[in-house]
Amino acid sequence: MDQFLLIALNGLTLAAVYFLVASGLTLIFGLMRVITMAHGTSYLLGGYIGYVIARETGNWLLGALGAAIAVGVLGLIIHQVLIRRFQDDDMRVALVTLGVSLIGTDLMLAVFGGTATQVAIPAAFQVGLPLPGLGSYPLIRLLILLVAVLVGVGLTLFINKTRYGSIVRAGVDDSQMTSATGVNVRVVFASIFFLGSALAGFAGVVGGTLFPLLPGQDGSYLLFSLVVVIVGGMGSVPGAAIGAALVGIVSQFALVYAPTYSLVLTFALMVVVLAIRPQGILGRRSAT
Amino acid sequence: MTAPETLVTPTATGRSRSLWARYSWIGWVVVLGLALLFPYVVDRPRFWLPNIGVRSLWLGIIAMSLVFLNRYVGLLSLAQVTIAGISAYGVGYVMVTLDQPFFIAIPVGITAGTVAGFLVALIAARTKAIYFLMITLALGQVFYSYASQAIEVTNARRGLAPIKKPDLEIINLNDITTFYFAALLAAVICFLLCRYVAASTFGMALQGIRDSPERMAALGYKVNRYRIAAITFSAFIASIGGVVLVFDRAQIDPDVVSLGSTLDVLVVAVIGGIGSLGGVFIGAIILTLLDNFAQDFTDRYMTLTGIVFILVLLFAPAGIAGIGAQVKRAFDRRRKNASDPGDDPQQEPTATQPTGEAITKGKQQ
Repeated sequence: MDQFLLIALNGLTLAAVYFLVASGLTLIFGLMRVITMAHGTSYLLGGYIGYVIARETGNWLLGALGAAIAVGVLGLIIHQVLIRRFQDDDMRVALVTLGVSLIGTDLMLAVFGGTATQVAIPAAFQVGLPLPGLGSYPLIRLLILLVAVLVGVGLTLFINKTRYGSIVRAGVDDSQMTSATGVNVRVVFASIFFLGSALAGFAGVVGGTLFPLLPGQDGSYLLFSLVVVIVGGMGSVPGAAIGAALVGIVSQFALVYAPTYSLVLTFALMVVVLAIRPQGILGRRSAT
Repeated sequence: MTAPETLVTPTATGRSRSLWARYSWIGWVVVLGLALLFPYVVDRPRFWLPNIGVRSLWLGIIAMSLVFLNRYVGLLSLAQVTIAGISAYGVGYVMVTLDQPFFIAIPVGITAGTVAGFLVALIAARTKAIYFLMITLALGQVFYSYASQAIEVTNARRGLAPIKKPDLEIINLNDITTFYFAALLAAVICFLLCRYVAASTFGMALQGIRDSPERMAALGYKVNRYRIAAITFSAFIASIGGVVLVFDRAQIDPDVVSLGSTLDVLVVAVIGGIGSLGGVFIGAIILTLLDNFAQDFTDRYMTLTGIVFILVLLFAPAGIAGIGAQVKRAFDRRRKNASDPGDDPQQEPTATQPTGEAITKGKQQ
């Protein structure tokens, strides 16, 4: 029972990281109907930037903030320079951003090398928290779970309750009519891209705190966030949360009970969901 | 961005087709002649034949299967490398683990790859456009993770080796020139097969489905079955590429099916021209040349590849093979604009008004 709970908690904290990455992706897709294949690159770059800032200043929060802003700005530039001109051709966006990720992978390998690094956290958080039935569990993991929940709730409220959120939702449904009512949809697109990329950068710092940062993670986190949004349903933040929780828990349990096939089982989850519900668990069925 | 320039619209060359069709055979003869002469004109055959020649050929064959799917079915699959890899693993398993001769191994490999393609099709054929891309990418990674862990089947990271090239007494494929010609023969057969299938009634139905699945369904075509059949056929082509690959490398390991290899083939297809079956070989040659020579002047070969890739996507979406048509179209448009300004239908459906192709091809949810 103890072990079961421990695995479940590990799965949930892993899911927290997956959710943070995937929420940015699902947000960008939700509004713009484009998939950025450079999302994993944003994650890893965010992690590295956070690592450098945290090392220099000794402040984790500053690192996370700096990484989010830096990656967000970079995402914005990529959006303005490379993506905006064919926003309606999502295949080409996917391919161009794949090219960006190819370059990003190579440059990050050149700058940060191939060795594992980890974002430092204040010693105060490096303690175990006694939990009933478990003994002690790392506080930092629980905090990260909390952060992910807060981000998720915040994003959901932002999209569903605020004026800006309703503009975003209107843009999702009909960008032409939205712009006809006087909303500058371009600015909305750009800011969503900024937000989505910044979330990926932030997720990189969070993920880089829990797990070492390595070259190649850009690819794997891109894949995991793709799986999460496919399972959860494209464009839905709660869907991403459900998808992330499923993926995180399945992969952790598989890691313990069938270690050789843990990745295969994680992806099998996606295949099962697709077979039953092609649009994802909370995805909306398309009109076309 | 006008509709005919989108990646998935191969009719871009339509206007120049009549001229091209009349003389295209001359072009192919020249290309084939150059390919046949290649082993005898290069200065260092031991370097050029394996590193550029044979590698370009199998990269080209695998990329061709991707281009076939994209051009005639409108699906961009990132699982083609995986399918080639499965075929290669099939050959490797039979030859190394079961210790059987190549004439059993090759059919087993091709069958394994084709069946894998059929399974991919069953899962992915219901989805379209960007979803198809993501799902095939993810499925490819499933196999990658399986291949790098399943020690009893794939020997995990160490892979299966050695996979010796067949020696048929008269034809000894261990001779690199002979092997090059064998690979060339495979490439030519695959190319002709793709062309033949595309021109058959089956191929016509596929193109109809690509352009308007609803209409074809209304006409009584089982859209999904056609898609599945097309994906399976392209898997067969990719499997042949996989066989050439495995004999060329003389071993098979998970690197073959990694994300990097997937991107390699995608780069080849895009640079060569994602709407052109023959263009992939140009793309393959460019990639192998970059791979071999870029490191002489820069360590950042991947960055260079990525930049070339993005530049091609931005400025020549139909790839190298489409540049001629693109230049011609630009001239046509200029002439047309000069004679009749303000009445150019191609200028209208831009980003603010996503009609036609952009909406059916680009925005399927």
